[in-house]
Amino acid sequence: MSNLLDTIMNIEVFAFIGLLVWLYFKPFQTDDGERRDP
Amino acid sequence: MLQNPLLLVALIITGAVAAWGIVDTAGLADFASYLVGIQFTSRAWFIMLAVSFMLIVSVWLALSRYGRIKLGQDDDEPEFSTVSWLTMLFAAGMGVGLLYWGTAEPLTHYLLIAEYRDPRESASLALFITNFHWGLHAWSIYALTGLVIAYFSFRRGCPSLVSAPIIKVFGSNGLTRSVGWLSDLLAIVAIAIGLGGSVAMGVFQVKEGVDALFGLEGTGMGLTLGIFVVLCLSYILPLTVDLGRGMAILSNSAMAVAGGLMIYILLAGPTHFVMGGIVQALGEYLGGVFTHGFRTFTFMDDRVGDWFQSWTLTYMVWWLAWAPFVGVFIARISKGRTIREFLCGVILVPTAFSILWFGVFGGVGFYGVLELDVPILDVVRDNVSGVTFFVLDKFPLPTLTIAAVVVAAFLFIVTSVVSAAFVLGMFSTGGDLNPSTRVKLSWGVVLGGLGLVMILSGSIDAVKSIIALGALPFVFIVLLLVVCLLKALKEERLGSS
Repeated sequence: MSNLLDTIMNIEVFAFIGLLVWLYFKPFQTDDGERRDP
Repeated sequence: MLQNPLLLVALIITGAVAAWGIVDTAGLADFASYLVGIQFTSRAWFIMLAVSFMLIVSVWLALSRYGRIKLGQDDDEPEFSTVSWLTMLFAAGMGVGLLYWGTAEPLTHYLLIAEYRDPRESASLALFITNFHWGLHAWSIYALTGLVIAYFSFRRGCPSLVSAPIIKVFGSNGLTRSVGWLSDLLAIVAIAIGLGGSVAMGVFQVKEGVDALFGLEGTGMGLTLGIFVVLCLSYILPLTVDLGRGMAILSNSAMAVAGGLMIYILLAGPTHFVMGGIVQALGEYLGGVFTHGFRTFTFMDDRVGDWFQSWTLTYMVWWLAWAPFVGVFIARISKGRTIREFLCGVILVPTAFSILWFGVFGGVGFYGVLELDVPILDVVRDNVSGVTFFVLDKFPLPTLTIAAVVVAAFLFIVTSVVSAAFVLGMFSTGGDLNPSTRVKLSWGVVLGGLGLVMILSGSIDAVKSIIALGALPFVFIVLLLVVCLLKALKEERLGSS
């Protein structure tokens, strides 16, 4: 059980790191929703 | 208040934690330590990686071409002189913690390390670890959070809120507004709970000082609660009137008392031993700080693992809990400075001061242990809040110095609560730079309630667990804010080229 919890908590972290990387490279978006490629 | 769901929800959550703690202090402390234990076991690597990442990003930003960007418009000039800016930085980051832990922390680490190593080597390592906890990594967390708030407020014209960079960079839509709202909420909860812990620590220390001054023993919880009531009465007035620079004067006075005390101990104590220790600690810190940031003590036994969780990891999330609060403050006083100036000032100068501080207070502690065989380690084991006063009692003019620590600790707590009530009021009212007296007083009451909970827990370890519980989600938010900053800087560079 504790192994499962440990795995889930670390998967959340991996997903979060992946999300940050994706957000960093994702095209810019202004306040009004307009997208601009870097 | 009812028209502001964020304020309402934040007050309910923090008020509920306070109420729970008052009704069932042990239950809350056990719950906090259970959850924090799970998080620390599973995510220790992530927390250490995150704080090291923040230090690396800070160094890179300071050295890169982004370092020339101003926190404000290009023609904005700094509002404060460099000296008074640096003084205010000290006051913001120093707080009551340094007074409390100056001697106690190095000696606490020493107790454990000396079981594994030679005592004299252990003293050196204990000082290194203390410097690590209060040094570059801690200030990088503050600096990056402050930098994000300052950049988006002064250069991009956003409100001084944690949510503002997220909405500015990723556009305003349902998802970003929700994430932003949640970030503001978590920042408020982290600040409130973190400050409650500081209030408790300050009250514990003032109580020990009063005990030492008047030769009281066994006053127990009665005197502690009495001091707490006086503290609450002391911060009500500043919350109801705008004291403006008055608060800065109080805070700087506390800082001056603390600085004076450090110089006195250095000169009145074994100066050659202390200075030798400081120089050695500085060298060891510079040589090992980077690699130590990645140490997770994974291959050590459970005792070391527990120590790592209850000290290094707790400190790192503690800095994260304080980051939005200190970040807003240092952002406000840093308009017109370049990113390079900001990062160097915020990270290097307070770190140097911390190394001096722990070198002096830790140094005299180790002198007592290694050279004079003073029973100071017994005090560390039995009553950590009394260690500073035990040390001061061995120096000339103990009544004066103990009174100075009591006054400084009291001033630090009052100014921290008043500033935190202001920042919490600002965060919970959409960035209003003049939150109403009613909002500030509401936060004053909640902060008092949280402080009372921590005091009732009667244990500094319980205080640390409760703070860590409030602060843990903020690891994620600070990293998200860093991504917002990096994206915005990249956009600015591409826009100007």
